[in-house]
Amino acid sequence: MNFSAPFLGLCWKTRLQVVLKIIKHYQEEGQGNEVVQGVLLGLVVDDRLEITNCFPFPQHTEDDADFDEVQYQMEMMRSLRHVNIDHLHVGWYQSTYYGSFVTRALLDSQFSYQHAIEESVVLIYDPIKTAQGSLSLKAYRLTPKLMEVCKEKDFSPEALKKANIAYENMFEEVPIVIKNSYLINVMLWELEKKSAVADRHELLSLASSNHLGKSLQLLMDRVDEMSQDIVKYNTYLRNVSKQQQQKHQYQQRRQQENIQRQSRGEPPLPEEDINKLFKPPQPPPRMESLLIAGQINTYCQNIKEFNAQNLGKLFMAQALQDYNN
Amino acid sequence: MSKMGVKPREFGLKPRELGVKKPQFGVKPREFGVGTCVCFSAQCPAGCLCRCPCPCRCPCRCRCPCPCPCRCRCRCPPVAVAAMSRFFTTGSDSESESSASGDETAPKAAGGPYSKPLLLSEDEEDTKRVVRSARDKRYEELTNLIRSIRNAMKIRDVSRCLEEFELLGRAWAKAKGVVDREGVPRFYLRILADLEDYLNELWEDKEGKKKMNKNNAKALSSLRQKLRKYNRDYEGQIAAYRQNPEQSDEDEEKSRRDSEGSGSSSGAEDDAGNFLKRRERDEPRSRYKESESEPESESDEDWGDSASESDSESDEDDGKFTSLASKFLKKDEERRGAERRREEKAKKKLERKSRREEEEEEEEGGEWEKVKGGVPLIKEKPKMFAKGTEITVGLVMKKLNEILQARGKKGTDRAAQIELLQHLVAVAHEHQLGVPLELKIKFNIVASLYDYNPNLAAYMKAELWQRCLGCIEELLELLFAHPEIFVGENVLEESENLSNPEQPFRVRGCVLTLVERMDEEFTKIMQNTDPHSQEYVEHLKDEARVCGIIGRLQRYLQAKGSPEELCRVYLLRVLHTYYKFDYAAARRRQVRPRPQVSPGPQVSPGPQVSPGPQVSPDPQEKEKEDEEKEKQEEEEEEEDSEALMERLCRFVYAKDRTDRIRTCAILCHIYHHALHSRWYRARDLMLMSHLQDNIQHADPPVQILYNRTMVQLGICAFRQGLIKDAHNALLDIQSSGRAKELLGQGLLLRSLQERNAEQEKVEKRRQVPFHMHVNLELLECVYLVAAMLLEIPYMAAHEFDARRRMISKQFHHQLRVGERQPLLGPPESMREHVVAASKAMKTGDWRRCHRFVVNEKMNGKVWDLFPEADQVRAMLVRKIQEESLRTYLFTYSSVYDSISMETLAAMFELDLPTVHGIISKMIINEELMASLDQPTATVMMHRTEPTATQNLALQLAEKLGNLVENNERVLDQRQGAYGGYFRDQKDGGYRKGDGYLRRGGFRQERGNY
Repeated sequence: MNFSAPFLGLCWKTRLQVVLKIIKHYQEEGQGNEVVQGVLLGLVVDDRLEITNCFPFPQHTEDDADFDEVQYQMEMMRSLRHVNIDHLHVGWYQSTYYGSFVTRALLDSQFSYQHAIEESVVLIYDPIKTAQGSLSLKAYRLTPKLMEVCKEKDFSPEALKKANIAYENMFEEVPIVIKNSYLINVMLWELEKKSAVADRHELLSLASSNHLGKSLQLLMDRVDEMSQDIVKYNTYLRNVSKQQQQKHQYQQRRQQENIQRQSRGEPPLPEEDINKLFKPPQPPPRMESLLIAGQINTYCQNIKEFNAQNLGKLFMAQALQDYNN
Repeated sequence: MSKMGVKPREFGLKPRELGVKKPQFGVKPREFGVGTCVCFSAQCPAGCLCRCPCPCRCPCRCRCPCPCPCRCRCRCPPVAVAAMSRFFTTGSDSESESSASGDETAPKAAGGPYSKPLLLSEDEEDTKRVVRSARDKRYEELTNLIRSIRNAMKIRDVSRCLEEFELLGRAWAKAKGVVDREGVPRFYLRILADLEDYLNELWEDKEGKKKMNKNNAKALSSLRQKLRKYNRDYEGQIAAYRQNPEQSDEDEEKSRRDSEGSGSSSGAEDDAGNFLKRRERDEPRSRYKESESEPESESDEDWGDSASESDSESDEDDGKFTSLASKFLKKDEERRGAERRREEKAKKKLERKSRREEEEEEEEGGEWEKVKGGVPLIKEKPKMFAKGTEITVGLVMKKLNEILQARGKKGTDRAAQIELLQHLVAVAHEHQLGVPLELKIKFNIVASLYDYNPNLAAYMKAELWQRCLGCIEELLELLFAHPEIFVGENVLEESENLSNPEQPFRVRGCVLTLVERMDEEFTKIMQNTDPHSQEYVEHLKDEARVCGIIGRLQRYLQAKGSPEELCRVYLLRVLHTYYKFDYAAARRRQVRPRPQVSPGPQVSPGPQVSPGPQVSPDPQEKEKEDEEKEKQEEEEEEEDSEALMERLCRFVYAKDRTDRIRTCAILCHIYHHALHSRWYRARDLMLMSHLQDNIQHADPPVQILYNRTMVQLGICAFRQGLIKDAHNALLDIQSSGRAKELLGQGLLLRSLQERNAEQEKVEKRRQVPFHMHVNLELLECVYLVAAMLLEIPYMAAHEFDARRRMISKQFHHQLRVGERQPLLGPPESMREHVVAASKAMKTGDWRRCHRFVVNEKMNGKVWDLFPEADQVRAMLVRKIQEESLRTYLFTYSSVYDSISMETLAAMFELDLPTVHGIISKMIINEELMASLDQPTATVMMHRTEPTATQNLALQLAEKLGNLVENNERVLDQRQGAYGGYFRDQKDGGYRKGDGYLRRGGFRQERGNY
């Protein structure tokens, strides 16, 4: 199951152990739309990044403010090194709720990771999809373009336009290969043979409305936000154009006056800094809308994927029914 | 005397004095007669030759502490006797004199706290001593301070001077009472003048000033300023003093004596006195100079001078002493004696002064003299009738006028005034001066009773209130007994006829105003009494009396009042009737006597102690004492308050010309209708009156009444099962969350910035008395239950509607509060009950819902407060069943293909036709996509409602449409073209989308079933 990755000459390999740890972490601590996070450890081998281990960030409440996360991480890594486990920090993981992970927080932390550790990656684990029978684990990195923009910290419409950033090319998904030792593989085969058929029936579940409903709800919320954002941007544009008009008028008036003055033999009025008179309105940052667009895109992908599967299942069920009848 | 009840009061700062005055009021009557001395004009019966002028100081009978020669070695100058006698010439004999003086001191005494010791001193001997020593103390204090100032001046310690001067100022303020009586003492003027000179001198002395240390320099300037300011008050006196520093002393003394004016005084004696005094004055000066022997500076000498003067000042009164030696020997004693004498002189002077002041106060302009002559006579009136002086109407009137003139003035003792007036009535009565006069005086008594409280916020004391009621009752009695007397507020003072029997009697005064004011006072008393106390119940018992008075007044005015007056009295009557539930009528209406839920089931009562039931029968009992005919009439009215209200209000509607009375009457009428469950009449009246449109222009009390009426209307609708009407009527009041405030049943706890003390007072005055309150919990419960019955089916019907509107925000708020609870226990409060019931109803479980709404707790809290509690409960059950059925159908129709109506009927314990009716209605309103299958009596579901996912998809489509629209606007901006190509197309497409939505079964427009 080796996979050669085209990006950066690196490929991300993950061990089953890591996956299981992440799943366990979520099972234990995450519920509902709460998110669990943790640190990925591993090392770069040739053009691949191998993630060999991970540990969770402990959940801590707001009241124990003196909890030092950095300290905790260092402590953990030191301890792991003592037991001879890879201790290089290569990224982080996060669970997600119906695929809603494209947020500002994720962007910021991934930016700082990638800024500090070039090869770092964020693993997104979707527990709901996993519960439906297919493991959903995705690795993302920020595209170099986005990295540039983030470094500049300029999210004005012009900057984004110049950087040629769109929601499609904000994140790049990196293929993951889960690779285990042969012994583990053997055991997995063994287990598969032993497990009863009923255990694998989630995949065939026909109940779809709940998942779809939730996704739609979330999608709707995002669309609303998007809408608002656009309205804001629209207002901005209108303000800009209005000001432009005023500026123009002012300049014309000034010009006429100067002509008159010249004809009267008076010295022309000094040219004032027109930008001082008309302060351009603050352009709204566009990063949010980009993120929302990205999120909408993710939702759409999810829904599409889900519906495709479900349709297949429905047809199958129908066929089965016909056959039985 | 126009409108006695509405006299403006300008003395806002009085209340503190009231407390001081009151004990005097009690003491005063005892005061004269007992300890009165009668001997001062004649020889002392004890045999002493002092002919002491002081009426109360004599050793003879009055236990006078004065040390007369016989027993007490009195040193009062004989001249004084003459002076006194001249002063009192007007008095024919001693007794009348003293009583007169006693008489007048009483009202006077209220003038200020300073006159208090004076009054007391006349009162009892013991206190007298105290007073004198106080006076001594004051002067001693002053002289001590002056001495230390002089010392400080001597050593040029200006800062010390300043300190002492400040102390002196304070001591002076304390001694003001004494000073007021005696005038500014010389020594005080002297120190002021000297100090001024001294300071000026220091000020001029530039070098000395430079040498002075900083403290002193600072003190100097500040003292100089202070003194300048201070001296301004005494400018004249100081100037006089400066002119003649020595002579002025005795001049003053002389003039004082002269003014006391002795015709018989012996000039020789006087001369001798003066001579002696002068000698004395010279003497001590030399003495002091010797003793001091400090030849420092001129100024020092000056001080010595003044010091001696100050001494001589105190000595000068000893003029009567012939022997210098004895004077030196007995100096202390003498001084005391002198001071004592001075005090008594001062007292007399003050008396005189006060009398003159009073006269001045009482009279203005030309009338002055006329009444002055009459003053003593009239003063004696109460006492004199025994002696046979002829008492005429004119005299009494004069006296009355005199008393009334003092009314509203600052120094008037209002309690004493009432007392005097009452006395006057007694006199008038005794002498049979005629009913009109009595009436007139009684009018004034009531008016002064109202005046007793200086400001509007204070309420009458219980005792006064009782007196006031009694007075008004007597007044009405008189009016009824003498219907020939014309009473009106329009009668001019001149055209009053109190005594002439040939012409019709005319008395000025307005009973109606008095009664209105009485009603106001009653409200005030109720507002200011703790509603949970026994006291409140006691006060409330007076309601019967108030009602009785109003009823009698009404009868009186019906006979002779104008329509306007009738309107006013009718309104009073209406205001006392509208909020009471007529139990008698309700009982009569129900043919079979239903077991009354009588303990406290007035609709508007707050607590169980509410003495509502006591109130209504009481007037009846009261009336029984009246005449037979009236009683019958009264009972008829009393029998059916509905008829009564109808009659009164109709009259007001027809005759009233002021808008306010009519508005109030209408509102009360509606309230009364609503209270007695005559919903349609109440509603029609409300709608016909168009009050909703213009009530915001009314004054706050009327607005409060309007709110009360609306609330009552809503509750009435609820009792009738008209849930929607009930909800609409209550919505405005309840949604604000300030029901308490809007109904005038209490102030909200708001921060002080929002309203200042003044506003708070005004708001407090608007509060409705507790026994008229609408129970707020009942109100809220009714509202919430009504909201529940409307909202739950609506919510079920529009579960997936994005644009779902809330019918009742408050109800939703309660639901949310309920949801937020982490642990849901069994409901405790009324709100929790309603929330729990709502939850049960949501699932169509009407039994649980019913159990939550109607149970023991809720019965106690709410439902039992209704007069027809059982009916209401039955109505509630029925409504709950129906609405639960609807909710059930809305919620679970998607699960069914068809439902048998019989099953539904069994489930909700409704009969088949009702179920049929409800479902048919739902189908007609297109709330339920179904059809009825008649033969099998089943409901066939059509399933045209979109599923949840479809709904979501629809919503999403709508939102995306919005998004696209917004996005295109951005595009338009870019292109600079507004409403271009895309717009038309999109609009078209969009409408279609909307249409689809509508066809999909969204009927929020027609959603109101």
